[in-house]
Amino acid sequence: MAEVRTTRTVLTSVAAYATLIVISIFCLLPFIWMALASVDSNAKLFLKWPDSWTFDNYLRVFNKEDGYRWFANSLFTVTSATILVMIISGLGGYALSRSHAWWKQPFLYAVLLIRVLPSTALLVPLYKILLGLNNFESTLLRPIFGENIRQAMRLFGFIDGYLGLIIVLATGQLPLALWIMKVFFDGVPKDYEEAAILDGATLVQRIRRVLIPLALPGLAAAGLFTFMSAWGDFLLPLILLSSPELQTLPLGLFRAFLRVNEIDYGLLAAIAVVYLIPAIIAFSFARRFLVQTFSGGVKG
Amino acid sequence: MISDAFQKRKERQLLWLLLPALLPLLLLVIYPALYSVYLSMTNEALTGAAALKPRFVGANNYLRLFSDARFWNSLLVTFVFVLGSAVIGQFVLGFISAVALRGRRVGSQVFGAAILLPNAAPEVVAGFMWISMLAGGDHATLSKIMIALGLPWADWLQTFPLFMVTMVNTWRGIGTAMILLTAGLSAVPAEVYEAARMDGANQRQTFLRITLPLMAPTIFLYMLISTVSTISVFGLVYALTRGGPGNATEVISVYIYNQSFTTFQLGYGAAGAVVALLISLVFGIGYVRALRVKV
Repeated sequence: MAEVRTTRTVLTSVAAYATLIVISIFCLLPFIWMALASVDSNAKLFLKWPDSWTFDNYLRVFNKEDGYRWFANSLFTVTSATILVMIISGLGGYALSRSHAWWKQPFLYAVLLIRVLPSTALLVPLYKILLGLNNFESTLLRPIFGENIRQAMRLFGFIDGYLGLIIVLATGQLPLALWIMKVFFDGVPKDYEEAAILDGATLVQRIRRVLIPLALPGLAAAGLFTFMSAWGDFLLPLILLSSPELQTLPLGLFRAFLRVNEIDYGLLAAIAVVYLIPAIIAFSFARRFLVQTFSGGVKG
Repeated sequence: MISDAFQKRKERQLLWLLLPALLPLLLLVIYPALYSVYLSMTNEALTGAAALKPRFVGANNYLRLFSDARFWNSLLVTFVFVLGSAVIGQFVLGFISAVALRGRRVGSQVFGAAILLPNAAPEVVAGFMWISMLAGGDHATLSKIMIALGLPWADWLQTFPLFMVTMVNTWRGIGTAMILLTAGLSAVPAEVYEAARMDGANQRQTFLRITLPLMAPTIFLYMLISTVSTISVFGLVYALTRGGPGNATEVISVYIYNQSFTTFQLGYGAAGAVVALLISLVFGIGYVRALRVKV
């Protein structure tokens, strides 16, 4: 009897390992190709061992292509959007957690429903609204900036400008972040705040001294998920950006790939690796929060 | 202890705190959603006579949409894509991985990380990597593997485009499914398994009679989440095939994009968008109800 059981356990183990190995290879193979191609002096479309190892592809991303600018643009817009979302969702999540007003439930339902709307479906009206705002803004700013209006609109414009992309990226990530923060504050006992109220602290003091320190883990989760989705977003920069100065990494990769006459796989793979690494770092930190957001938010 | 007046003032303060979240959502989500309903009833376009003077055309766009074979095709493609990747592919492979990783096996950390890695890949990177695996006929990595194994190869993205796109999306989501189902699996109390073993249940009976029913709520919730998030997948398909060859992989989001930004028929594109919004809302409401949101 005991022997039957051991054989069985061994067999189950072997089956489990075999399954895991096959699924892992399926998951890893594309990454292996990309990593190898990015350091191959003669990279090809298919998976192969590098002819000779080189960092030339990476050097070309930054020297020949606009790699620095793409990276800086991506980092700047996505980080700004993340900080914006952390502030707004921190405040809003707190309000949603502590309020007993009539608007609380409808608002929470709306937040969950907004999360499921496909962004392609909102794109055309969104574009028109942003275009309206953009034209209005440019007539306002023209007298102030005069000759430099183009540069000013690159910074503050809603279309083909940093500000517009940051705000739209942030808005897209807001529902999940609000939900994460609301659930987080639900778990923070009110005793601390009530003690602070009894000590005569104002709302601002309560937020600064009591709530922000308590909220840091929640804000970290909200920020990581925002960063990951905004970093991976391709549709919004595709629609909103056209100036070469504003290109971000996903656009750089996509456009480099569209130059069909001579596809340079080594270069493309190097761009992809540069784009991938921050995403992997953020994901490895966010991993521990995946399950919690699942029971409330939508998977990130 | 805390007076009514204070309570009222507190609620007002909270509303102020919520305002910075409320404004962008109203302006950039709710308003565009309503605006797309309006747009869908006009002949708005980016080029041509209609661009200068859009007219109200009532339900014309919808009538045209419902007689457009390409629209129905995109709904069918979306259905196959969602069913194949979110409901079947990711779930089955994620469940198998979760079960195989159960118990402290040597190397489970490594396997877990490997299976999760595709989740971290941005859509465009995923599309690009898979082009290497699938495109190029006998040069494609998959073809080379098949040839090495003595199996037939194909021009994968030309011959089985929808299947391949579905497979790539499956690849991206196994990790999430695995993590969420692992959480569900570990929520089943060990005593229940112990009791089943005492009663002489075999592995298969244990699985079908205990594991699956106890995990049903987790699975249902997972299905809803992955369904709604898969309906809105755009970048992956666009980077991989841009909806082609023909319209074989034109999921609804790519269809809307193509109608609006390559043929510039904004009003008509908006009608498709409204249909997509409604479909997503139906699943979304199911999701909210399934969560039994405590507020």
